[in-house]
Amino acid sequence: MKLELIGLTKTFNGQQVLGPIDFSDTIDTLAVVGPSGSGKSTLLRIIGGLLLPTEGRVMMDGEEAGHDESSLMLYRRRIGFVFQQGGLFRHMTARQNITVPLVHVHGFTQAEADAQANALLSRFGLLSQAHKRPGALSGGEQQRIAIARAIAPRPRLLLLDEPTSALDPEFTTEVLDMISELKADGIRFIIVTHEMGFARHACEHIAFLHEGRLLEYGPSEQLFAHPQTPEFARFLSKLLEWNIVRE
Amino acid sequence: MKKIAIVLSVCLLLSAAAGCAPAVTDSEKPLVVAMELAYPPFETKDSAGNPSGVSVDFAKAFGEYIGRKVIIENIAWDGLIPSLQTGKADMIVSSMTITEKRKEMVDFSDPYANALLAILANKNSGISSIDDLNQPGKKVAVKTGTTGDIYAREHLQNAGRIELADESACVTEVVQGKADAFIYDQLTIYRNWKTHEDATVAVFIPFQDVEQWGVAVRKGNTELLDKLNAFIAKFRSEGGFDKLTQKYLAEEKAAFEELGFQWFFDLK
Amino acid sequence: MQNRNEKALPLKAALNLLLLTVIIVAVFWLSLTAVGVTFDFSFVSEYRTRIGQGFLMTLLISLASFAVSLLLGVLSALGQGSRVLMLRYLCGFYVKFIRGTPLMMQIYLFFYIIGTAWGIDNRFVAGVLILSIFEGAYISEIIRGSLLSIEATQWEAAKAVGFSHSQTLRLVILPQMVTRTLPALTGQLASIIKDSSLLSWIAVIELTQTMREISADNFKLFECYFLLGLLYLALTLPVTLITKKLEKKFSYET
Repeated sequence: MKLELIGLTKTFNGQQVLGPIDFSDTIDTLAVVGPSGSGKSTLLRIIGGLLLPTEGRVMMDGEEAGHDESSLMLYRRRIGFVFQQGGLFRHMTARQNITVPLVHVHGFTQAEADAQANALLSRFGLLSQAHKRPGALSGGEQQRIAIARAIAPRPRLLLLDEPTSALDPEFTTEVLDMISELKADGIRFIIVTHEMGFARHACEHIAFLHEGRLLEYGPSEQLFAHPQTPEFARFLSKLLEWNIVRE
Repeated sequence: MKKIAIVLSVCLLLSAAAGCAPAVTDSEKPLVVAMELAYPPFETKDSAGNPSGVSVDFAKAFGEYIGRKVIIENIAWDGLIPSLQTGKADMIVSSMTITEKRKEMVDFSDPYANALLAILANKNSGISSIDDLNQPGKKVAVKTGTTGDIYAREHLQNAGRIELADESACVTEVVQGKADAFIYDQLTIYRNWKTHEDATVAVFIPFQDVEQWGVAVRKGNTELLDKLNAFIAKFRSEGGFDKLTQKYLAEEKAAFEELGFQWFFDLK
Repeated sequence: MQNRNEKALPLKAALNLLLLTVIIVAVFWLSLTAVGVTFDFSFVSEYRTRIGQGFLMTLLISLASFAVSLLLGVLSALGQGSRVLMLRYLCGFYVKFIRGTPLMMQIYLFFYIIGTAWGIDNRFVAGVLILSIFEGAYISEIIRGSLLSIEATQWEAAKAVGFSHSQTLRLVILPQMVTRTLPALTGQLASIIKDSSLLSWIAVIELTQTMREISADNFKLFECYFLLGLLYLALTLPVTLITKKLEKKFSYET
């Protein structure tokens, strides 16, 4: 799946938070890292069609993401998005969170949707929680259901916005494990994360954002071992200070 | 258990407090006179918002007579008699008609004024007498609890009754044609007719016996009642009522004379 | 030892409730004796038809106003979010004016001025309209508030899974709003029942007006108003209980 970003910028209230960003490559598993406020979530939302760029274009497999709501809606339907928290529909059960979009957006019959949902839920050990509402689930379970909902329609790209940042540490592992499994299945994803160990070992490529600019991009093992820019080096060393980076 | 003890003792204290009142002799307490300050020029407020009017002056004169300070309490018509019953007021001077039913609840002084009911009718209602009003389909507005209300209830069985709390609302209903007529005392009807001559007519043909106004006191309060009756006689003989008329009702007295009506304070 | 304590709990609750009732009754009775008033409820059977009619009228007016005010409230809440500027201003003004002025004033204004001008003479109809306009503004704010209380992420997530705007409203927003507003709306019904008493000022023969007329007739002011209170409680208590039940049922939302 080829992603191209051409001259992408985003300005909020007169402040330019992103860009200009130019990027062109095939995506398999990409981690986006950087200090807070560097524009990572904004970039992810633009790629996901949830936010319109101020300038520039997004192209996926040669097709440009449109600027009007109807074409954007179609664009979003082929992308899965996982939010940092609160992404599940509160009034629906875990199972319904997965089946309702399948039925109403992707044209599944109820039976097909149930089958798909059950398959995913049982695969990731969540079947026993399927009838519960998000309020009754742990943070880790909620995020895993959110991921299941995102991949159920087999999107061409999965986007995850700091999926473990809001979780208690004991739940982080189960979520990261699930994402690793998906990788093994061949699912392509871009993940914004602070989990450096995961970024380094589980993701093929890494992109480093700093003050809205894309400063580094390349194979993760390589870049982690040999940062090209002083900013990235400083960023890594800061993490090392508190031993956050798992070796 | 401790909680219950505290709560019980609080209750006992409250009831004890309710039972004992400070020991003050009657003659030192101010005289509380209740009236509804919505009936000019008998009971009303001056531009500064202080009670003024015929009844106010009358009450103050009585206070001087018995050597007690007078406090005027502005209470809505419905609440006047209850205020006597609960002891909130000592007497009512509010142009209140003496009726048998009211006598069951309170004691009245000797009458100090006469009054007659009159009709304020909408110009298009075709009403020129009380019998015109007592027809099915006719609607009469009354102020709740007044003798107009009582009369309508007892004698206008065919007409629909609209009971409202304000005199001004009753007049508005007649002016707008929502009601065909409003029954109230002659003076008020006269004044409101003058204000709305283009929309209303006034019918002054008497349709009942003269009503008499009295001062109401709590049942059994003979001491205050005797003083009141003595005062009323004295006030009249000294021309007190004539002075009040001169001060507040000169124009109206002239109009009444022209129309041939008996004047309020003329008890013959 | 443990078991005996647990068994005592409901007994303790009942005892406390009994004590509370005794205290309240005692305070009332002592106040009445101190003031020298005795209660005589013998008039109730004589006037029972009128009281019953007044009660029914209050019920009717309240239900009718509830329905109309719901409609007005929804329309106003939608209008406040509309893209048409005039509509937004109109609804905003409506809510601010109605919520900022006393119902008494609105009753007189709408009945004697606007109602007369537009030929609305029937008191019941006028009463229901006035009350609906009044309560509609409050319902509008309840709906608007609950709409705003839905987290932004719910909207974003709906976008992300590919729902259209109407699908988002139908599948995500409305179901959540219903559970959020239902308790508040039933509470509003209780308010309507009480506010309807003010319609007595334009002689709508509902419960308060009926009691007023009766007390003017028999001078039993205290008994009448005491009975009035009980009758209104008979209407509002069930509504309050239903509200509580709904709040509990929908508490998963938090």
